[in-house]
Amino acid sequence: MSGHDSKYFSTTKKGEIPELKEELNSQYKDKRKDAVKKVIAAMTVGKDVSSLFTDVVNCMQTENLELKKLVYLYLINYAKSQPDLAILAVNTFVKDSQDPNPLIRALAVRTMGCIRVDKITEYLCDPLQRCLKDDDPYVRKTAAICVAKLYDINAELVEDRGFLEALKDLISDNNPMVVANAVAALAEIQDNSARPIFEITSHTLSKLLTALNECTEWGQVFILDSLSRYKAADAREAENIVERVTPRLQHANCAVVLSAVKEHQSDCSKRPTILAHEIKVFFCKYNDPIYVKMEKLEIMIKLASDRNIDQVLLEFKEYATEVDVDFVRKAVRAIGRCAIKLDRAAERCISVLLELIKIKVNYVVQEAIIVIKDIFRRYPNTYESIIATLCESLDTLDEPEAKASMIWIIGEYAERIDNADELLESFLETFPEESALVQLQLLTATVKLFLKKPTEGPQQMIQAVLNNATVETDNPDLRDRAYIYWRLLSTDPEAAKDVVLAEKPVISDDSNQLDSSLLDDLLANISTLSSVYHKPPEAFVSRVKTAPRADDEELADTAYSESPSQGVDGASPSSSAGTSSHAPVKQSAAAAPASPAPMPDLLGDLMGMDNAIVPVDEPTATSGPPLPVLLPSTTGQGLQISAQLVRRDGQIFYDVSFENGTQAMLDGFMIQFNKNTFGLAAGGPLQVPPLQPGASARTLLPMVVFQNISPGAPNSVLQIAVKNNQQPVWYFNDRSHLHVFFGEDGKMERTSFLEAWKSLPDDNEFSKEFPSSVISSVDATIEHLAAANVFFIAKRKNANKDVLYMSAKIPRGIPFLIELTATVGVPGVKCAVKTPNKEMVALFFEAMESLLK
Amino acid sequence: MGIVFTRLFSSVFGNREARILVLGLDNAGKTTILYRLQMGEVVSTIPTIGFNVETVQYNNIKFQVWDLGGQTSIRPYWRCYFPNTQAIIYVVDSSDTDRLVTAKEEFHAILEEDELKGAVVLVYANKQDLPGALDDAAITESLELHKIKSRQWAIFKTSAIKGEGLFEGLDWLSNALKSKSG
Repeated sequence: MSGHDSKYFSTTKKGEIPELKEELNSQYKDKRKDAVKKVIAAMTVGKDVSSLFTDVVNCMQTENLELKKLVYLYLINYAKSQPDLAILAVNTFVKDSQDPNPLIRALAVRTMGCIRVDKITEYLCDPLQRCLKDDDPYVRKTAAICVAKLYDINAELVEDRGFLEALKDLISDNNPMVVANAVAALAEIQDNSARPIFEITSHTLSKLLTALNECTEWGQVFILDSLSRYKAADAREAENIVERVTPRLQHANCAVVLSAVKEHQSDCSKRPTILAHEIKVFFCKYNDPIYVKMEKLEIMIKLASDRNIDQVLLEFKEYATEVDVDFVRKAVRAIGRCAIKLDRAAERCISVLLELIKIKVNYVVQEAIIVIKDIFRRYPNTYESIIATLCESLDTLDEPEAKASMIWIIGEYAERIDNADELLESFLETFPEESALVQLQLLTATVKLFLKKPTEGPQQMIQAVLNNATVETDNPDLRDRAYIYWRLLSTDPEAAKDVVLAEKPVISDDSNQLDSSLLDDLLANISTLSSVYHKPPEAFVSRVKTAPRADDEELADTAYSESPSQGVDGASPSSSAGTSSHAPVKQSAAAAPASPAPMPDLLGDLMGMDNAIVPVDEPTATSGPPLPVLLPSTTGQGLQISAQLVRRDGQIFYDVSFENGTQAMLDGFMIQFNKNTFGLAAGGPLQVPPLQPGASARTLLPMVVFQNISPGAPNSVLQIAVKNNQQPVWYFNDRSHLHVFFGEDGKMERTSFLEAWKSLPDDNEFSKEFPSSVISSVDATIEHLAAANVFFIAKRKNANKDVLYMSAKIPRGIPFLIELTATVGVPGVKCAVKTPNKEMVALFFEAMESLLK
Repeated sequence: MGIVFTRLFSSVFGNREARILVLGLDNAGKTTILYRLQMGEVVSTIPTIGFNVETVQYNNIKFQVWDLGGQTSIRPYWRCYFPNTQAIIYVVDSSDTDRLVTAKEEFHAILEEDELKGAVVLVYANKQDLPGALDDAAITESLELHKIKSRQWAIFKTSAIKGEGLFEGLDWLSNALKSKSG
């Protein structure tokens, strides 16, 4: 490039950011405010304006509330990307948290909670402490939520600073909003904590019940939710709670209603009929939003019983004459579902449906026919007398589903309908234009008709239909079905009869059949998204917070809610190693005691890795090399726990053994893993039988990874808590050696190894001496390492030293390219490694050294 | 006459506020000085993690005074505030003789900054009320103020607690700024 070309690189235009910077530093307040607005605007459309951080923060000290709010907004967004500079905002927060204006105090404390920067959280404790004791309830209630946020960032700090106690004090606050927020904060903290933190006592109970009547609707939701976790001490107390909560069912806000329902359910879980008496509460009001109406309908269907069906049908019938088409359809369907659900009410349901058909409203009739088809299948040979009525409305049908249903009815009952052939023929005229659904039904119905009335008319029809459905159509489903019928009919009409006219299994209303454990989970999470998705929250929320199941004493009373419920419901959607589907885990648990035990590994080979969980009462389970003692009996008041992470068949297990050295039986063992680098967590419940004094048990607990990952630099520490029903909770540490994570997929080809080695910069190469390790035979070492998923790639001789090249891989595809240099028989192995993930290197060396021992 | 005078000033400064940085080691008394200047009161302070900014009106000049936290961890961020600065008030704890060397090093590092080339320097030898406080001559010596070339500077003995010396310094500062821009 010649010298004068450089002019193209210098420009007189400053660009947006420098211009904004200048404006932000203007001495005119208005200009500064406009500039901040521009910055926020740029931020909201996704431009990166983080480079203006100090300039924006410098506008923070202003008496202009609008400007202050904008700067706060900016801070929330960018503090994380400028963690060092965020410290410049601290003093302003401190000042604002003492501002005479409570709005500013609250704003400051709220924003502080949203800034998730480790470096500054510490400085924010003093202001938070002050705000928790503020004279103004608005500030206090904001501060309460801030504690929960802070707990999420730094739980230890919250506990050290006594914020939990301060929160608990706020439950007795004289302002109901403050109480509600304190409850909400405590509940949130409890969700994130393994220890019991928030327990309602009879004292707090009365406070909560009092606050319930006075606080806002969302406050009520929080309080009701926490009440639903409370187990009433006696019947009188429970009655008292129900009495106080029942008025909430009438609340205009559906969230309040749902929470109240949840509370009721947990209180009355032993009496499922409780809500049946309250069914009137769910009757739709004309001004309910449509989605609430729909939900209410669902609930009414579920609550419908022989006792209240008349009432319910009356409601449904009324809904069926409303104006909203979707709602009307749903109401008609609801009647049908009630008929299917309650056999004694079926007749009444049908008569209501017939009444509705007589109204001759097109979509009502169509919907009615669809559900009547289902009713016919549910109660065969019972209500066919109404077919005639149905046939009257044949002309009005224009929707595929209704048409298909009607055609099914005609085909199914062809022998009872005198003019079935005519009816079908009328449909056949438009065969090519019909939708696939109708075409399929027409095909089947015609075949049925032909089999039932093998006369000339139907014979011509079947010819035409089969021709249409095989030659003229593009739909492979239709063609396939037509060919099947054709061949059946042409080879063996009797067999065709057996197949086509076979008894149909009776259907049932399966619309709300959920696995009972899933249902429990959903109930615990009612009023959250999970009750909409009908999935446990773990299935769609990445940061799992399981609400303890209220009806399960074991879980509600202890902090062990996480692992058992995860184990049952399959809570590992993301991790590959964790997808050892949990159903087989349950299976093996159920099947194990019955079947005699072959070798565990064999069983694993035969039936897949999931079955490698060896039930503890089997002799093979206690075999294997002794495990390192982690909790000596002196510490465990007689209980000794030894354990080690192992890898079998591609799955990580926690090989753990318990020895009961106490004088009493120990049972109800549970285990929990603290957050750790690899996110190791129990993949199922711990299966340890009750231990008699002197007895011991050993089990393989399947583990999942990436479940509860602790942030920060990788380390191998694994903190474990074990409890049983007789003793306090025991905490101990183990180490998660990296080599258990070495995957079976770690083998690399020579060429790809070379390429990978070259592509990684030299910065990523590390080496370490293992002075006490000896390679006595190259082949034995290769074999030994291969068993640990460290795969041999190549070797060479360098002077008298052997150089081995190997590869290993840990989850998420992080490879380790390894070079081992040693003289056979002489102590001292040099291990060099290249990996894209430098942070893991220390752990890697630790693992290699232990493998080469 | 008064009106003419005001006009003269406004023509010199416009509505401009003079941008002033108050710098110095932690616990030198910067925040106390700021609020003593602004409100005329002694406020109780805690270490400033970040900054304070207030407008001080004196001698018909508006000073936009930035008090920056003096802790080691925050000092690196002082430079974010350097652009467009007309004056620096450097505050020294005259009784903290152990850290005078550090104070001197930080001070001269500031003077080296390109962005502060044109800034006037006012040194407050603060905490004169404390026993064992060095006087202005001794502080001048320890900060090696005589090494300053091509820049206006002055040192005043102050006690923020008693309110002594602060406004004398500000008088000097306003004159220095006036003469500079005039």
